[in-house]
Amino acid sequence: MKNKLLWKLCWIVGVGAVLLFWIVDRVVQQTEQYMSFIALEHQQQLKAYGQEAEAILNSQGQAALASWLLSLQEREQTWAGVVTTSIKPLAKGRLPKQFVKGFLLGRSIEWKIHLYFKENPIMDIPFSDGYTHFLIRLPQRMRPGIYLPYVHLLLQIGLPFILLCFLSLVLYRHFMAPLQKLKKATQQFSNGNFDVRVKAALGRRDDELTTLAHTFDEMAERTGALILTQRQLLADLSHEVRTPLARIDMAVDCIEHNIHPEKALSRLRYEAATMRELVEDVLTLAWLNNEKPCLNKEDFDLVELISVICEDASFEYPERILRTELPEQAILQHSSQRALGQALENIIRNALRHTDNLGQVVISLTKQASLIVIDVKDHGPGVPVGLLNDIFRPFFQVDKSRLNHSEGSGVYEGKKRGGFGLGLALAQRQIAAVGGYIYARNHYQENADSPAGLHMIIELPQKA
Amino acid sequence: MKPAHIVIIEDDVTLNDQLADLLRKRGFTIDQCHDGQQGLLTALNKHVDLVLLDRLLPALDGLSVLNRLRKVCETPVMMLTACGAEEERIAGYSQGADDYLPKPFNFTEMQLRIDALLRRSRGREDNSVQQHNLQIDGLSLCRRQQQVIYDNQTVALTPIQFRLLWVLVENRSEIISKPYLSQVVLKRAFSRYDRSLDMHLSRVRKKLIDAGMAAERFVTVHGKGYRFA
Repeated sequence: MKNKLLWKLCWIVGVGAVLLFWIVDRVVQQTEQYMSFIALEHQQQLKAYGQEAEAILNSQGQAALASWLLSLQEREQTWAGVVTTSIKPLAKGRLPKQFVKGFLLGRSIEWKIHLYFKENPIMDIPFSDGYTHFLIRLPQRMRPGIYLPYVHLLLQIGLPFILLCFLSLVLYRHFMAPLQKLKKATQQFSNGNFDVRVKAALGRRDDELTTLAHTFDEMAERTGALILTQRQLLADLSHEVRTPLARIDMAVDCIEHNIHPEKALSRLRYEAATMRELVEDVLTLAWLNNEKPCLNKEDFDLVELISVICEDASFEYPERILRTELPEQAILQHSSQRALGQALENIIRNALRHTDNLGQVVISLTKQASLIVIDVKDHGPGVPVGLLNDIFRPFFQVDKSRLNHSEGSGVYEGKKRGGFGLGLALAQRQIAAVGGYIYARNHYQENADSPAGLHMIIELPQKA
Repeated sequence: MKPAHIVIIEDDVTLNDQLADLLRKRGFTIDQCHDGQQGLLTALNKHVDLVLLDRLLPALDGLSVLNRLRKVCETPVMMLTACGAEEERIAGYSQGADDYLPKPFNFTEMQLRIDALLRRSRGREDNSVQQHNLQIDGLSLCRRQQQVIYDNQTVALTPIQFRLLWVLVENRSEIISKPYLSQVVLKRAFSRYDRSLDMHLSRVRKKLIDAGMAAERFVTVHGKGYRFA
């Protein structure tokens, strides 16, 4: 599912907030209702006043009641009185039942008080006869809900605040747990631990944050590999440079001591050229590796390119047979003649180098629907199956002796050297830069166990 | 002809001196500069035929020198770059240099390219004395109409192919280096792995052979260049 985190958030925040409002509303309502009743002891007190008034009226008469009322009003700082009512229906009306037995002029003490009215209500405690009433304005001290504003404050602000804080905590922990792990991993990675990965540590969780973790893992994988490759490249490079440097030093000594100075000079020239090529190749390799350029500015005829390269190559290896099986034309669009040219040159040279004298190298080109496929087959020792991918690694050499097996060690000038094992690494990246793909396999003769040679297959995309 | 005047702008003193010595020996007049500011002033103030410009310089960077120089004049500039891939970046910058020589380089290669650049820029100056027609053993080239006729048949060539054939025929029996051909024919800097020159030549050769010319007339001198015999 896409946007999992969004759905999760919607669910938690949406449902949580609705629930919160509902709870707060319910609690406020309940509390308000509960707080609207006059406290029981006050009810008792009011009832007692009523009974007292009735008793005084019955036993001592109105004068005594008047003075009692006065003192009561004084005491409770309110108004009180005793009244009597009689209801007479007019126009031949009849009284409903509730008015026959008597009715209330004020409010019953068991009723709720309207807390929103400023004035206190008048309470009505009827005498036993049913039509005499003891009326008293509710004394301020008995008014319920004095704390209502505070309770309101607490319920409508305090409660949601606490609940929302709790919700935030839950959300925070939900989001921060993977982020903390990611942070720790990033720190470890920057400290040089390139093996650190995050995704596995997040368990079965699956959302945007695990996607982030996955992206981090991919980055760690690539960057780690890149750093290790660069390190290896640097180590290999400095190693490769040592030998020609030593030979240069030797050649200088030879000149100083006048031992075959001409030979030493040509040696110097050769070694410098070798090192120059090495540096150039490494720089190109680093460029292709780091910037992953996309080379697609040229259209050209691949057959022509291969022919030109083959012409040069057969000049360099006159004793090998270079056979080509090419169509009339194979126009390749949006590619790079320079990148592809260098790649093909390296591959063809490699094939020629590993083929014995009078051996054959076959180059063929076939056009398919959306691909142009170039096959380069040599007749050499082939490559052990397990190493078929490794030959595209920089500085990789299957067997150092193999590379020199057909090359006279004394002959340098005018002949390409054994190479540093950069040719195929470069070729692979150059072919990738024009959108193509290269792989290698051995080819066998019928009924033979050992390979007849190496077979390079280059696939180039061709837009119809 | 007056010897060509070359300004070397290179901050490495040793390399600068070595280049100056070798070029003086070849008969050039040399000015040596060790930073961009001084180099730019020299290149602007004197009559200079060619500037050898290092990419990384103190005071004023090589690219800035090139940029400012280009605002005023068209003096050929050969950029000495540290990395092959940098070429593309420089090319995208301002109008670019006339040639790029990746470090490290050897003197022979540099000499070839300097000759190519000087011939091209001098050729531009004395355009007026150039011929309009070339004729050799049944092959005739007409520059105005861009027309090639061999053995009374018209051979259709693209402008680049025509220029290539013209240069080779004009300098008959001489080995013409690839850097020079690249400068004059393709109008761009030579690069070791650039095969377009070879491809153009192979096409021209094929067309002329189809018209009946002997294949041996086009000679590939490996490691050096081409020759029309």
